Amino acid sequence: MRLFLFSLLLLSQPLFADSYLIRNGRVVTMSVSGMIENGDIRIVDGYIVEVVQDINAESVDEVIDVGGAYVTPGLFDSGTQLGLAEVEHFVGSSDNRVKGQPLGAGFSLALALNRFSSLVPMVRQEGITRAMVLPITGSEILAGKSALIQLGDNTPFSTNDGNAVHLYLRETDRSLAGGSQASALMQAVNSLKEAKRFGKNRRAYESGRTRKFRQSEDDLKTLVQVLKRDVALVIHVDRAADIETVIAELGTFNLRLVIAGGREAWRVKQVLAEMEIPVVLNVIDNLPSRFDRLGARLDNAALLVGAGVKVAFMTQDLYKDTRSLTQAAGVAVAYGLSWQEAMKAITVNPASIWGLENYGSLEKGRVADIVIWDGDPLEVMSAPTRLMIDGRWISLTTRQDLLRDRYSELENQDVPFGYR
Amino acid sequence: MGNPASRLKISLLIVLLVSVLHANAEEISYESTYKARQAPDMLIHSATLFTGDGGVVEAGYIKMAGGIIEAVGSGMPATLDKLDTALDASGKWVTPGIIDVHSHLGDYPSPGYAPHSDGNEMTAPVTAGVWAEHSVWPQDPQFPLALAGGVTTLQVLPGSANLFGGRSVVVKNVSARTVQGMKFPDAQHGLKMACGENPKRVYGGKGGPATRMGNFAGYRKAWINALEYQTKWHEYRGDLAHFESAPEEEKEEKKKKPSPPKRDLNLETLVGVLEGRILVHNHCYRADEMAQMIDLSREFGYRITAFHHAVEAYKVADLLAANNICAAMWADWGRFKLESFDAVKENVALVHKASACAIVHSDSATGIQRLNQEAAKSLAAGRRMGLDISQAEAFAWITLNPARALGIAERTGSLAKGKMADVVVWNGNPFSVYSRVEKVYIDGSLVYDLEKDVKPVTDFELGHRVRGL
Repeated sequence: MRLFLFSLLLLSQPLFADSYLIRNGRVVTMSVSGMIENGDIRIVDGYIVEVVQDINAESVDEVIDVGGAYVTPGLFDSGTQLGLAEVEHFVGSSDNRVKGQPLGAGFSLALALNRFSSLVPMVRQEGITRAMVLPITGSEILAGKSALIQLGDNTPFSTNDGNAVHLYLRETDRSLAGGSQASALMQAVNSLKEAKRFGKNRRAYESGRTRKFRQSEDDLKTLVQVLKRDVALVIHVDRAADIETVIAELGTFNLRLVIAGGREAWRVKQVLAEMEIPVVLNVIDNLPSRFDRLGARLDNAALLVGAGVKVAFMTQDLYKDTRSLTQAAGVAVAYGLSWQEAMKAITVNPASIWGLENYGSLEKGRVADIVIWDGDPLEVMSAPTRLMIDGRWISLTTRQDLLRDRYSELENQDVPFGYR
Repeated sequence: MGNPASRLKISLLIVLLVSVLHANAEEISYESTYKARQAPDMLIHSATLFTGDGGVVEAGYIKMAGGIIEAVGSGMPATLDKLDTALDASGKWVTPGIIDVHSHLGDYPSPGYAPHSDGNEMTAPVTAGVWAEHSVWPQDPQFPLALAGGVTTLQVLPGSANLFGGRSVVVKNVSARTVQGMKFPDAQHGLKMACGENPKRVYGGKGGPATRMGNFAGYRKAWINALEYQTKWHEYRGDLAHFESAPEEEKEEKKKKPSPPKRDLNLETLVGVLEGRILVHNHCYRADEMAQMIDLSREFGYRITAFHHAVEAYKVADLLAANNICAAMWADWGRFKLESFDAVKENVALVHKASACAIVHSDSATGIQRLNQEAAKSLAAGRRMGLDISQAEAFAWITLNPARALGIAERTGSLAKGKMADVVVWNGNPFSVYSRVEKVYIDGSLVYDLEKDVKPVTDFELGHRVRGL
């Protein structure tokens, strides 16, 4: 077993001592260096070692001149279902929630992930190299732990699972905890109190000398990590008043809070800024589709950032409307956010919110997740031309590309389509 | 008058007249009450025009008068007299209003609670007799959101659970108290039909159809009933005409006036299709099923106007072109159900390349807010595989082509003289994600202005949803 773990560890490092020089890029560093025109990036053994103009090409294995193309860090989607369901409709593929089991905060969807999903290459084609796979509510408002995945060929797929626990307090979640927003929040608070008690009486618990806990041991252990701030607590909540109440009620626990969804977060931007609580947004979802979302608007991100709140973006939907992360970021720009801040929301901000120190920017010492684009990365007509994860070039070809090629010449009826 | 030939002619004429009257009778009480607002004559000049029919005019102008496009050209019009207002649109783009051929605004409004869920009469596989317009809530706050995306006309369809889902309605995206006040004047109804997964999923446990072959038997059975119904009405009209044309004394003595067959709303709609008054909008994902549906239409002698969703249109684009059927598609949706598993981003461009009528549609209250971006994504995918398509051509995917599919291309959908002045001014190239709609004119009337904060606010939003965005 130990040997197996050790080899897993080895696999998670780049396999070859490769070195690359990406030359002549419009390098969006997302660091203090800002944008470097005609910038070069040297990559050795999976890490960026240098980002400046004019690096000596000697002593690298491969030089790639990108001819002035945009070069960005690999993009980060802060909320996806990738690796879970090949086809959304299939109930059997709902690996992101647990129902009818004594499992809540401790539920780990990482155990269900499929790194060979045909959707992984499709998402890579959007310039995304890392993502958070989110649990959703099954029978508990504490839905479980998210998994942080990398979209390269390396293993493990999930690099840091359990770095956040997800609590759902939207209008649609109340029915899981007594039907009232009050009972839902009280249940969340009680769950944390219980975990606190558990943390203090571990020995008594193990020898069966405590009174019965409502939550399972997995849940309690997970919440202890939340209480220690090792793990973030992501609260999915939309209504402005609920955001205020949640912050007030959970304030005493001194947690690492993140608001997700936050459709009305702009209304309480001051308190979010003061408490330094970041907000993860689905930019494009501006419909007043429920009474807790009446204030949804496309300039939510711009208003929050203007007040000093850190934001990150998530797509949530792999299949439909909000599936394009760069389009969402571009729309945020059209509605008042600066281009730089929009880029931050899909690179450095998620890296910092999710506790990834070596990601999100192109600078010395960072993991080499790099995307080369055929245009402004936030433009809807742009796409990646090459993509590197952990210092390795990863194919951008998808199953869809093969289908497209098969049917691109309909007038040729000589060869049956199955042989093309 | 007395000779048999002229008598026949007259009775035929009467049959025709009665049949037209009958066709209209059902609609007269639901007709459009929309009246375009009085609008000042207007010149917009120095803009880049995507005319919607594939054309582009650099430094162009458009002149609107009396709600109609009076002239379109490059430079400035020769005569500038009797002009109320001129707008210098240097650096801006001007296009026709966007048309969404597939929407559920109003029948699946926001907020989206069960009491508002009026988009799909999921009670029987054949509900051709329901009309989407009887579900449309004109106060849906999604209408103004779509307007901010430049949408001036949309087709609201019933949902896709049924083989025959009911009639669609074409509306102008205008603020009105009633759906009649939104209805596009004299636009034809559509009939929503659905292939594949949805009908069999919904009715598999409710008496069928439970399979795709069950779906087909269901369509055929309904069309057979429709033919029978049509014959019954033909016979009745013949009898009636005969009765009407008989001399007065004969009427009283010999014959009783024939009584009409009982109206059947489902079959009335289907007969409307068979007689060309109602256009078929067929939800259909898979290539093989589209080919089957074309055969079905041949069997019963009707025409399919458009396949909607059509994620596999690229596999049969030649077939669509040969049969003059439009394909309404998403830019990049897919894999949300098994029949959408083979969705490719090049779908729209490949259909366009095959000279078929390509449309980008939304089927979504968020997607409808940025159909220009969806067209841009489709265009980019096509170009990336080497297809030579211009932005101006791609703009037809969200303007003239959907207008064709709705049977309103003679009146809107492009910047052409004599058409409705449904016009959008963009603050940049609409193929850029950063561009915003700046002004929207419907029938020449300014209904949206980003700068001056002119926009409709629905009753629902008033007072509790913040005005704006």
